[in-house]
Amino acid sequence: MRLDQNFAGTADDFPTLLRRKGLLGPAAIVDPISPVGGLHQRNWEPTEATTILAFKFSGGVLVAGDRRATSGNTVVYDRADKVLEIDRHSIMAIAGVPATAWEMARVLEHSFQYFRRTQLQEMSVDGKVRALSKLLRDNFGFVMQGVGMVVPIFATYDSHPKPEARLYFYDAMGAQFEVTDYAATGSGSPAVRGILYYENNWGAKPLQKLNEDEAVSIALRALDTAAESDTSTGGVDRSGKIYPLIKIVSQDGITTLAETKIAAVFKQTVA
Amino acid sequence: MIEEPYRWVEAIANRREYIEAQLASGSPIAALGYRDGILFLTLGQTRQKIFEIYNRIAMGAIGHPGDIERLRMAAIELASTEGFTRSAADVSLRRLVHYSLSPVMKSAFEQVYGAPYLARMLFAEVGERPEEDLFLRVEYDGEIATSGATFAQARNDFAALSGTRQSRELMESFLQAEHAPDTGFEAALKSALDAWSVGQMALQTGDTKEMPVRTAVEKYRREQLANTGIEAGILERDPSRGIRYRALMDKELRALIHD
Repeated sequence: MRLDQNFAGTADDFPTLLRRKGLLGPAAIVDPISPVGGLHQRNWEPTEATTILAFKFSGGVLVAGDRRATSGNTVVYDRADKVLEIDRHSIMAIAGVPATAWEMARVLEHSFQYFRRTQLQEMSVDGKVRALSKLLRDNFGFVMQGVGMVVPIFATYDSHPKPEARLYFYDAMGAQFEVTDYAATGSGSPAVRGILYYENNWGAKPLQKLNEDEAVSIALRALDTAAESDTSTGGVDRSGKIYPLIKIVSQDGITTLAETKIAAVFKQTVA
Repeated sequence: MIEEPYRWVEAIANRREYIEAQLASGSPIAALGYRDGILFLTLGQTRQKIFEIYNRIAMGAIGHPGDIERLRMAAIELASTEGFTRSAADVSLRRLVHYSLSPVMKSAFEQVYGAPYLARMLFAEVGERPEEDLFLRVEYDGEIATSGATFAQARNDFAALSGTRQSRELMESFLQAEHAPDTGFEAALKSALDAWSVGQMALQTGDTKEMPVRTAVEKYRREQLANTGIEAGILERDPSRGIRYRALMDKELRALIHD
């Protein structure tokens, strides 16, 4: 820990501070001159082998992710956490390359804290959403080189101007899209989006009216459906008793659902 | 100056006198460990004096706002980058103060052609148990005073910061007598308010070494509370949460004061 004697008292944002200290790689530059299909792009393919989903229900936003991590055809890990708490009211769920995604989550977490501590005020929701967008944008050069693609979902609870849950999904370039009802990304997401669309329009009730147990049940069914056809999605591991990770963002903060509770809902309504 | 050591010593002495005079009006800050955490408290509404530094570390400071700001930013930068590259558990107040802040403050103070830091700071780090709480006071010349046990003194679960030495020492002896480390929040709040009153009274009466009588302290506290805002923050001991600091609102504290 070394202190800069000539410190001028101005606060950078946290990624800039890290770069100044050499603790974070430079933003990757997208080289517009390289021909399409050239050396850098030969290996590019969208690798986002996972399924994460989020939707608003009566108790806030539910965010769920399967636990499988893959490398090509190989399952490398079956207890991966893809639903990450960034602060007391924000969750980032990740599909994509874990190394990059986890570092992004770490940078983001520290960025929000750093902002609050230095500026003596909480970062606004719009500021937080932009911060993630900027990290994705900085990373896009690597995505074009075929490494480090991340496509996250961001869920948070806003208290200004009125208390409400907010939900966003991103593309790999950093564009953010706010959604009113649900979002899903990752390789298994087409199936999940189908289910959530169907449930929201023609299900027993719209997603926003569901109670917690009903919401958990739909999340489990959706992930299990995705896993049925997508080998990169773990779904529910019935023999290993491994359940998806489910977290809920509400006005009171973030709740991680206990595995026993998920197991009970699974047994009653899914299995 | 190197060839003339006497002039260097004289310059340092002048500088010390100047800084002490600048800091002398600084309103006291009390920090007390209690059962569920550490409470920082001061009275006054002009500018913020109690700050969050990192997950388990908070700071109170008096002095020039510009210097406090530079030191505060430096402390947050160091703690944040350390917490990011290693882990939050590796950020320690002892290292932050001993290896980073103190040497820099000392050399700024002793390089007589440059400006010293016009600031006096009190840091606290909350531990898992009250015995593990750490309080460190850092002076403008880099001097560090700790709450830990030394050969001459037992361990304290409190610390005080004030404009003058007399004021601080009176607060410390008050807390030594009145504050029990394993107390609840309300008792800690009352001790902190009284300790602040003792310190502030000493600042106003000049260089008294006499502890004011209890009724005088209570009267003074009531008078001050009637027209001054409370600034306070706590570091919570609750290990289920990463971030332990929380600023307390004047309103929520008023409800706990029974005068």
